[in-house]
Amino acid sequence: MDFAWSDQQRELLDAVGRFATQQLNYDVIENDREGVFNHDAWKKCGDFGIQGLLVPTDYGGLGTDPLTTVAALERLGYGCKDNGLLFSINAHMWTAIIPLVYNGSEAQKKKYLPGLSNGTLIGGNAMSEPNSGSDAFSLSTTVTKKNSKYILNGSKIFVTNGPIADLLVVFATVDKTRGPNGISAFLVEKNSPGMNVARKLEKMGLRTSPMAEVFFENCEVPVENLLGKEGGGAFLFTRSMTWERGCILASAVGSMQRLLERCIRYANERKQGGQSIGKYQLVASKIVDMKVRVESSRHMLYHYAWLSGRRKAVYLEAAMTKLYISDCWVKCCEDAIQIHGGYGYMTEYEVERELRDAIGSKLYSGTSEIQRNIVASMLGL
Amino acid sequence: MKILVPFKSVPDPNDATVAGAAVSTPKSVINPFDEIAIEEALRIRERGEVSEVVGVTIGAPAVDEQIRAALAMGVDRAIRIDDSRALDPYAVARILGAVVEKEAPDVVIMGKQAVDDDSNQVGQMLAGLLGWPQATFVSKIEFLDNKTRARCTRETDAGLEVVEVDLPAIITTDLRLNEPRYVSLPGLMRARRKPIEVLNCDQLGVTVRPLTTVLSIARPPRRAAGTRVESIEELMAKLRQEAKVLSQYVF
Repeated sequence: MDFAWSDQQRELLDAVGRFATQQLNYDVIENDREGVFNHDAWKKCGDFGIQGLLVPTDYGGLGTDPLTTVAALERLGYGCKDNGLLFSINAHMWTAIIPLVYNGSEAQKKKYLPGLSNGTLIGGNAMSEPNSGSDAFSLSTTVTKKNSKYILNGSKIFVTNGPIADLLVVFATVDKTRGPNGISAFLVEKNSPGMNVARKLEKMGLRTSPMAEVFFENCEVPVENLLGKEGGGAFLFTRSMTWERGCILASAVGSMQRLLERCIRYANERKQGGQSIGKYQLVASKIVDMKVRVESSRHMLYHYAWLSGRRKAVYLEAAMTKLYISDCWVKCCEDAIQIHGGYGYMTEYEVERELRDAIGSKLYSGTSEIQRNIVASMLGL
Repeated sequence: MKILVPFKSVPDPNDATVAGAAVSTPKSVINPFDEIAIEEALRIRERGEVSEVVGVTIGAPAVDEQIRAALAMGVDRAIRIDDSRALDPYAVARILGAVVEKEAPDVVIMGKQAVDDDSNQVGQMLAGLLGWPQATFVSKIEFLDNKTRARCTRETDAGLEVVEVDLPAIITTDLRLNEPRYVSLPGLMRARRKPIEVLNCDQLGVTVRPLTTVLSIARPPRRAAGTRVESIEELMAKLRQEAKVLSQYVF
């Protein structure tokens, strides 16, 4: 494994770091309190090239490899404190762009990828349902074909970007008894007749990333908006989820690095009992743990991405990466609050928000328990 | 019509290196005033008033990173004068003078000063050497009379001064001229295909030697800790006798 950056990679990564630090950190506290998505920052990211990182150059993207991509997202997470914005970008990349890149027809790619790359279109997917979460392929939303149209019926929950999405990848089954083999994926544009984006969901963290319930009532989808093959939805979803699990916490590694540096600064500056609190072993020990977590998380992330870039099977590595980094991120945030004492608990110090934002990482893209199931199954258990 | 933008590579004024965290080494960036000059030149080109923006800088190959940043912003092509000596403003002006002779631009736009040494001399010296008009500390540029003249608004201590200069001219930029654009990742990719021409002083036919020598550079002395005073009278006495910022005869 060689994670040494070329000059070109370093230039790109430095540019991302500068952009994220200087251009995206405004109104974050207020937007978090009010649950407001920062459209302007989204557009800036699009113009800058974030959403299009992985998209092939023929479709308006930069065509970066997985390792460069996760490293860029890590720098984004280091610089940008709006974890909700980053979550929306992640949902957009892994659940809308990736399925299109791999399974989209030429016409679909030409129609949607340029806009998704430059941020003029916002994407997401609709998979989870009130009664199917971890057991994703037991979904109940149905699809029937009628007069060269697909008709969707059912309801989806926890749809990230739901309230703002221009395009959703929606999963539905022809026959629930067929299990995974009955599932197909569809590109559904906003304002499609019969699609209703219902109430916005209030959340503990990632509050700047809007999430909604979405209902389909005889929702008509043109036949050319079938994504992949009929019955190919489960395979498509698994691929998209593998990418998501491997990459979605790249920005969390950056967030951990930022928290670590902040804690070092605070532990050196804050004096109690006549010395910097960093001189107390109990504080220093927490910071050492943070450092080890950041480094080990980064290695998991880069190793996954390095393998992925070599087209190796990464189903196991993606699950381990997601499981491990989410755990580290939550622990780092807890430690950061503890090191900052009462101040860390105060909103204006912007540490408590990181913890609220981090906790969801043990739930989305498959809970930590599901990741453990995957790892166990890959170990022959 | 062509604009030449000379720019300097300086230590990043925004670089917050965290002691102990070992995350970054001090980085170099384009001098912020020069970045404003680049931005202005690009905006003028985007308005269709000039057809080419050429960047020029002086330094070792390491400054290619800042050259690529300029190309990524949108500069069409760049020239690096390969010279790693510590040059003083007069030497820089002489070299740039030779580049101007070679490139024959219609306007030179550059930062009013570099943020590392704050000399604020190169633009003026360059104008003097070339015998060109100059407009310094400029916060607004308009071309007039079929682009034969430029009307420039200068920021001075007395207020905004409007001057007109015949072209070709040297224009140096102040902070409020514009806000430079962000280098995008697609811009960076495009920059890799743009040419960087490398020249040296011999090729330009100039011989420069520094007229000034930097003897030493030191940090300002650390400020002593403040003291607490008991009364207004004590404060006044200290201001008079220790700080010597108040006259004995006031009040």
